[in-house]
Formats: sequence, structure tokens, C-alpha cells
Amino acid sequence: MAPGSHSVARNRPQQPLESWKQIAAYLDCSERTVRRWEAREGLPVHRREHHKQDKVFAYPHELDSWRRRRTRTPSTPSPAPEPQIHGYLLEHAAITATMHCYIAGARAGDSSLMRPAFHPAATISGYCQGVEYIGSIQLVFDWIDGNGFAPDLEPRFARIEIIESIALVHLEMHGWSGRNAGANAHYTDVFTLLKIDGEWKITHKLFHSHVT
Amino acid sequence: MNATSYATEYDSIVAAMQGYIEGSRQGKSELMRSAFHPGASFIGYAGGELRQGTQFLFDWIDGNGPAPDIRPRFASVDILDSIAVVRLEVEGWSGKLAGSGVRMSDVFTLLKTENGWKIVQKAFHWHA
Repeated sequence: MAPGSHSVARNRPQQPLESWKQIAAYLDCSERTVRRWEAREGLPVHRREHHKQDKVFAYPHELDSWRRRRTRTPSTPSPAPEPQIHGYLLEHAAITATMHCYIAGARAGDSSLMRPAFHPAATISGYCQGVEYIGSIQLVFDWIDGNGFAPDLEPRFARIEIIESIALVHLEMHGWSGRNAGANAHYTDVFTLLKIDGEWKITHKLFHSHVT
Repeated sequence: MNATSYATEYDSIVAAMQGYIEGSRQGKSELMRSAFHPGASFIGYAGGELRQGTQFLFDWIDGNGPAPDIRPRFASVDILDSIAVVRLEVEGWSGKLAGSGVRMSDVFTLLKTENGWKIVQKAFHWHA
């Protein structure tokens, strides 16, 4: 990098995101969620003047700052007579959001949707049809992409256990269909997550394939 | 899973975990290696830094030395056919690397292999 180019990059005006759809895609969630975040959690969204319609825009760097603040501090300075329970609910919401990336990727048969939920060094363990799968999470991504669409997938959160910087999620998956899953597969998934730089990331997936 | 088979598997899992506990107590990784699957992974924050890989765990155990006062408690043992999750609460860690009077929350995931229950991942939280 040439000298001074870092400060030039910082001062260069960013291309704003010009719609709820673009903002949602940047934050990797639904339009409904970003609208709710604007209404309740101060998501930095701007509006163009003199437009009758809801014309919004947002700057990526402002969204990044908001996201970092959101995962580190309580979103509203409301009185918290039981700080431990309040803290659990915040972490529970953040963990659930991470897990929904995984579920969205599974349903769409698209590993690129679930990849942000995982730590780069995440691993997998489990048996599928008698074959042992132990190794890089890339095995999951390849399986998901090869499996394709699973529109009838029904996830249920059996347990979310949080111990400071680590968490365990037990997810029951029913109705999994596709080229690899078959017609109506049932999987028991257990995820270990770690809170890294304020974000919850899956570090391990352990699974049991229920063979009928 | 009926009550009898849960009890049988539970006993097998607790027995498999003794290798980890004894290795920790004596500060000898060789006692715990067979409790881990060869492909097991390990991740967590130690001393404020993110650490990965079972070799880091084994080196840490050997470097820490004996921890004779550790008091391990099985906080939960969930058995789901071929997979299991164990939460181990350990108080009283001591040693060259641990210090003294340290508490750790350990989460193990295990897989039932043809060689018995093996740890496939350990995650931990070191309580400040």
C-alpha cells in the first residue's frame, strides 16, 4: 500500500445503499428486520427530502459502527433491576440471529448464506449414512450446496445455553429434503459458538442423522 | 432412548471423560489423548487470546503441571443417539499456567465411534 493511501481511502465518500433491500442484504437479514431496527434500535438510515415515498439510504461505514456498538452494549439504557437476566436475553437474541443465517442457508441450499455464521476454522463431526464426517466446515458447505432447496425445513431450538463467551445450541431439524437429505430427513444438530469481537460465531457443528 | 440405555451410555461417557480429568489433575496430556478423537478440535480464549487446536491444549496441560485440587462437576450430560454434549464445571485449577483458585466452564461434544465415546470438540470459558 502506498504511503498516505490509507487516509485517502478513509476520506473517499462511500457509495450509499439506496433501498431497504440493499440495506438488508448488507446486514444479511430481512427487510422487516432492518425496518424494526430503525424504529427501535437506532439503525442509522437517512431519507431523501421531498419524496412522497419511503426513499431511504444508508452508509456502510455508519451501519458497521452501529453493528459493532449493538453487539457490545445494551441497545437501550433502560433500568435493569436483574442485569444477569437482561444480559442473557441480549446474548440469546444475538445467538438466535447467527443461527438463522445457518437455517436460511439450509433452506435455500446455499452455503454462502450460512458462511457468515461460522468461524473460518469451524469444524464438523458426525455420521451420515454410516460415513464419518470429521473435519473442516467446508464439508457442510459442500453438502448444503449439493443438497439444494429444502423448502419444508422445520427448525426447533431445543436448547440455547450461554456460559459467558461460549454457547451451546441444540437444534432439531425436521422435514429436510433435497438431493443429499432425501425426502423427509430428521437431524439433531448441536452447535458450539464462541463470542469473538462482539459477534457470536459457530465453531463446531455436531450432528446425528436419524435414519428411518 | 429408554432409562436403561441412557444410564449405560451415561456411564460410558463419564468413564471416557475420566481420561481428561485425570490428565488435567496430574498435568500429563498423555493420560487424556485417548479420550479425544484424532480429528478433534479445540477453541477458546486463554489469557485473552484466541487459541485453537488440541495440540495447544495438550501443551498447556503439560506446561501447567499438576492441578491436584481440581473439583470437576458434571453440570449436564445430554445424549442424543450417536452424539453427546457434556458440560463440566471445574473449580480449583492451579499450576504454572493456570495460577491458583481458577474456575473453568468446559463444554465437550462427543461422538459414539466404533472405539467408544470420543471427544470431538472442547470449548471452554476461563472465568476471570
